[in-house]
Amino acid sequence: MLWSIVVSVIAFGWLFHHSFWFRSEDGKELSNVDGLAIGVFPLHNDDMRLEVTWTILPFILIIWLTYVSWAPIDNMWAPLDDDEYHGSECDYASAAYTGSNNVMDSKGMVTSDCYHLIEITGQQWFWSFDCLELDESLCYTATDTLEVYGSVPVLGLKKGETYLALMESEDVTHAPWFLDLFTKEDVLQGQQTLLWLPITDSGDSMILCAEYCGDAHSVMSGVLAVHN
Amino acid sequence: MGMSKRSRLAVVTLLFVAATMVAPAAQSLPTGIAGVKDSGCNCHGAVVSESVSASIGGLPEIYNYSEAYEIVVSFEGGPSETGNINQGGFHLWVSDGSLAVNDATSQLFNQNEVGHTEAGNDQTSWVVTWTAPETDKNVEFVLHVNSVNGDADGNGGGSTGDLWSKAVASISGPVVVLDAADPFVVLTVLIMVSAVLLSITLSYIFYRTNPDSFDWETFAPWIADWLTSTDHKKIGTLYTVQGLFFLGVGGIMAMFIRIQLAVPGNDFLTQDQYNQFFTLHGTTMIFLAAMPLINGFANWIVPLQIGAPDLALPRINAMSFWLQPFAAILIFTGIFSGGGADTGWTGYAPYVVSQTAHVGTTMWAAGQIMLVASSTLTGINFLTTIAVMRAEGMGWMHMPLFTWSIFIANVMLFLSIPAFGIGLIQVFLDRVIGTAFYDISAGGDPLLWSHLFWYFGHPEVYVVIVPAFGVISEVMATSARRSVFGYRSMVYAMAGIGIVSFIVYGHHMFTSGMSPTLRFVTMLTTMLVAVPTGIKIFNWLMTMNGGSLVYRTHTLWALGFILTFTIGGISGMFFPSVAMDLHLHESYFVIAHFHYVLVGGTVFGLVSGIYYWFPKATGKMLDEKLGVIHFLVGFVSYNALFWPMHRLGVWGMTRRHHTYFITTEEAMGSLPAEAAGWNMLITVSGFVFMGSFFILVANMIISSIRGEDAPADPWGGWSFEWMTSSPPPTPSFGHFDGEKWSGLPRLKDANDHLANEPGVVSRWFKRLMVPDEDSGEVSH
Repeated sequence: MLWSIVVSVIAFGWLFHHSFWFRSEDGKELSNVDGLAIGVFPLHNDDMRLEVTWTILPFILIIWLTYVSWAPIDNMWAPLDDDEYHGSECDYASAAYTGSNNVMDSKGMVTSDCYHLIEITGQQWFWSFDCLELDESLCYTATDTLEVYGSVPVLGLKKGETYLALMESEDVTHAPWFLDLFTKEDVLQGQQTLLWLPITDSGDSMILCAEYCGDAHSVMSGVLAVHN
Repeated sequence: MGMSKRSRLAVVTLLFVAATMVAPAAQSLPTGIAGVKDSGCNCHGAVVSESVSASIGGLPEIYNYSEAYEIVVSFEGGPSETGNINQGGFHLWVSDGSLAVNDATSQLFNQNEVGHTEAGNDQTSWVVTWTAPETDKNVEFVLHVNSVNGDADGNGGGSTGDLWSKAVASISGPVVVLDAADPFVVLTVLIMVSAVLLSITLSYIFYRTNPDSFDWETFAPWIADWLTSTDHKKIGTLYTVQGLFFLGVGGIMAMFIRIQLAVPGNDFLTQDQYNQFFTLHGTTMIFLAAMPLINGFANWIVPLQIGAPDLALPRINAMSFWLQPFAAILIFTGIFSGGGADTGWTGYAPYVVSQTAHVGTTMWAAGQIMLVASSTLTGINFLTTIAVMRAEGMGWMHMPLFTWSIFIANVMLFLSIPAFGIGLIQVFLDRVIGTAFYDISAGGDPLLWSHLFWYFGHPEVYVVIVPAFGVISEVMATSARRSVFGYRSMVYAMAGIGIVSFIVYGHHMFTSGMSPTLRFVTMLTTMLVAVPTGIKIFNWLMTMNGGSLVYRTHTLWALGFILTFTIGGISGMFFPSVAMDLHLHESYFVIAHFHYVLVGGTVFGLVSGIYYWFPKATGKMLDEKLGVIHFLVGFVSYNALFWPMHRLGVWGMTRRHHTYFITTEEAMGSLPAEAAGWNMLITVSGFVFMGSFFILVANMIISSIRGEDAPADPWGGWSFEWMTSSPPPTPSFGHFDGEKWSGLPRLKDANDHLANEPGVVSRWFKRLMVPDEDSGEVSH
């Protein structure tokens, strides 16, 4: 964001300065510095050092941008059973089990001790949520009637826990967009996809379908209800 | 003791009968869940019974505002007989006004729906009150009745033998309101009106060319010449007219979409119609508007710029064009059968081959296969022409930048479009003869289409933007009275974009379940696109340095292009950053981004090109005043149209949703309440932006009749197209005496080196060629 402002200030400042500073004046003979004439390839107008500069500088900038977005990408697509972010599936029988204990760092990345498995199935045109073997306090499903969307499925999750959704589609491609979790992933027929759902805030929010799936695509919705 | 077994059974049966009568009532909304409207109450058989007749009594033909009317709903016939425990039930839906119940025999579900109660199911007639609306409405009533075979024996569920029926009525207020027309009818009418206006304009232009001979004898050869011409200039004009026509059609569809989205929860279009509108809007704008406009410029300008008499393969060129209008007809065929393609222009599998996709999708795929053929032929033609027909003295590194841009665009198109063609043919076969490329249950691959499509799709968007780069390079250099800054780095940057375009497409599939490693690679390569694009922007800016910028309409559009394209480029940099993309993917942020680069980039570039080359093509100058008005109106409304979409996308507005809901105190929606105001602003700006294009069309028509005559080189450019007269003769350069061409131009070079010295690119091309003689020179 900061860098986009910097780049645009440079580019637009330059644009306005040059477009007004170097404008032609009425009635004045136009200069012809590069020997423009019909049928003649004009003089080269270049400066190797300048051109190399604005090749190298953006290059360094984007390498740096790639580097800084590396950690968030790893966090959002964390591999399974990798100790760095979400540990392994919670062992509910273990005496040491105290939940996921999500911790969010200053960049918004969430790490947790262990995760819970849930299942999401997409179908024309509704979502089905399944808590698998999770306890009622960790995960519940329900239906709710919203004034505008009608009857929608509710996925109830607990604040401070991390869930891994195993997702598949019954028919065409869908994608649940968890608006308040800022994340989505396609669900495909015949191929399982995974989506991390680290929950850090309580409250209700919408789940929409973000991959076009036909007629009732726009009302294929759900509610994520996060409780304490 | 409690109840006896028998009476308990009777109560259960009674409840069951009541439940089965209420259940169909809840489904009898005329506009509800798909299928119910036609099948009605399918619990007692799927068809309306002829032996039951339902009636709505007490309705006025014309209602008075806010007056309350007592309505009698009743039925006769069916199995219901006097003496039955239960006689029947009803459900009444009304589109406007409000309903109220009079007694305990009926109940109110909401102000539009009433039904009977358990107390009311032993009668065949009920009375309810309807209060008319306060304004003029066309009010519809839909009544469902159920004639109960009320023997209540409990066997077979107690509802056996029930028969149902339906009655509809519609009344109006003191002033009759016209029914809303079907949007497709409106669209067709608008297209037909545009076509009629277009043909009137064409006849008028024909009339003006020679008012004395305005008759069929001269008209027939004139029109036949246009239809059969292989002249690159005429085909270029045909492409441009087609492109502008479909720009209008696509624009009308965009306006339908914007009317629908102007307010939350709008029902101007049904979701089904909306899906077809956005699909056809995308397909039309990319394939039938942007590509033909680019081909129009390429046809007109490339042979002129390289000093060639025509394209290398003129008949192939005519064929490429004439495939297009027929492909367009195929693409639109579906809407005449009530089911145009509804897959999105991306046509993701497996939806595109599923049963739920409309029948029109098959023809939509067929039409695009024809467009693939057309583009392939065009590609061959331009690559050949540019490679072998350059004027003497024009090396590869002497070509004007617009010609370079067309060359690179066609290389990209030529290498990428076969993938799309293959995908479309697979889809077509899947839909027509039942192959299983995308039938997942038969072992098809859900991601194959996405890979094929985006392998083509991403180069394709560069195919439509790179020619705009070419136009802007020409316009900026000419307007600033300089040669373009860093000609060589401009060429390498365009070539770089062309190469990188093939390895970035994975960013369209960040959320697709593709391998994370591959996704990481495409994140890096996508970021890399910024480097050559940045070089080009900085070079354009530097071109102005030390020059004297002449402000013409095309200069304004070029400066506007740089501004909006930079914004589009910067917003594009948010997507490769995956953490953001997972939120923004498929949101309005994406819509904002690609409209900023495709409208603010391609369309602005091409409009600049129209103002720049129109005098050359027609020999008439365009009116500068109208041009500046067009720019100011267009530029302001354009930004008001697309800039707010960034914000809507971040809030969570999803693309391809036929409506959206805002969160209010009563109901939860997906967007904050401010979103409604922003959407209204976008819709209004959309209409203004579309209106601004009528200024351009008017300008073109007025100027081609009344404009000043254009000199050969009105702007002071250096390349060959400014050497010929305006409009250019046919053939554009030289003459053919039956054996060889003579009088072709020769390019001089103001730079201090031999004009024919091969450049770096030429030396590389020579290495790839088979040597003419077996000399030892080639090996090192």
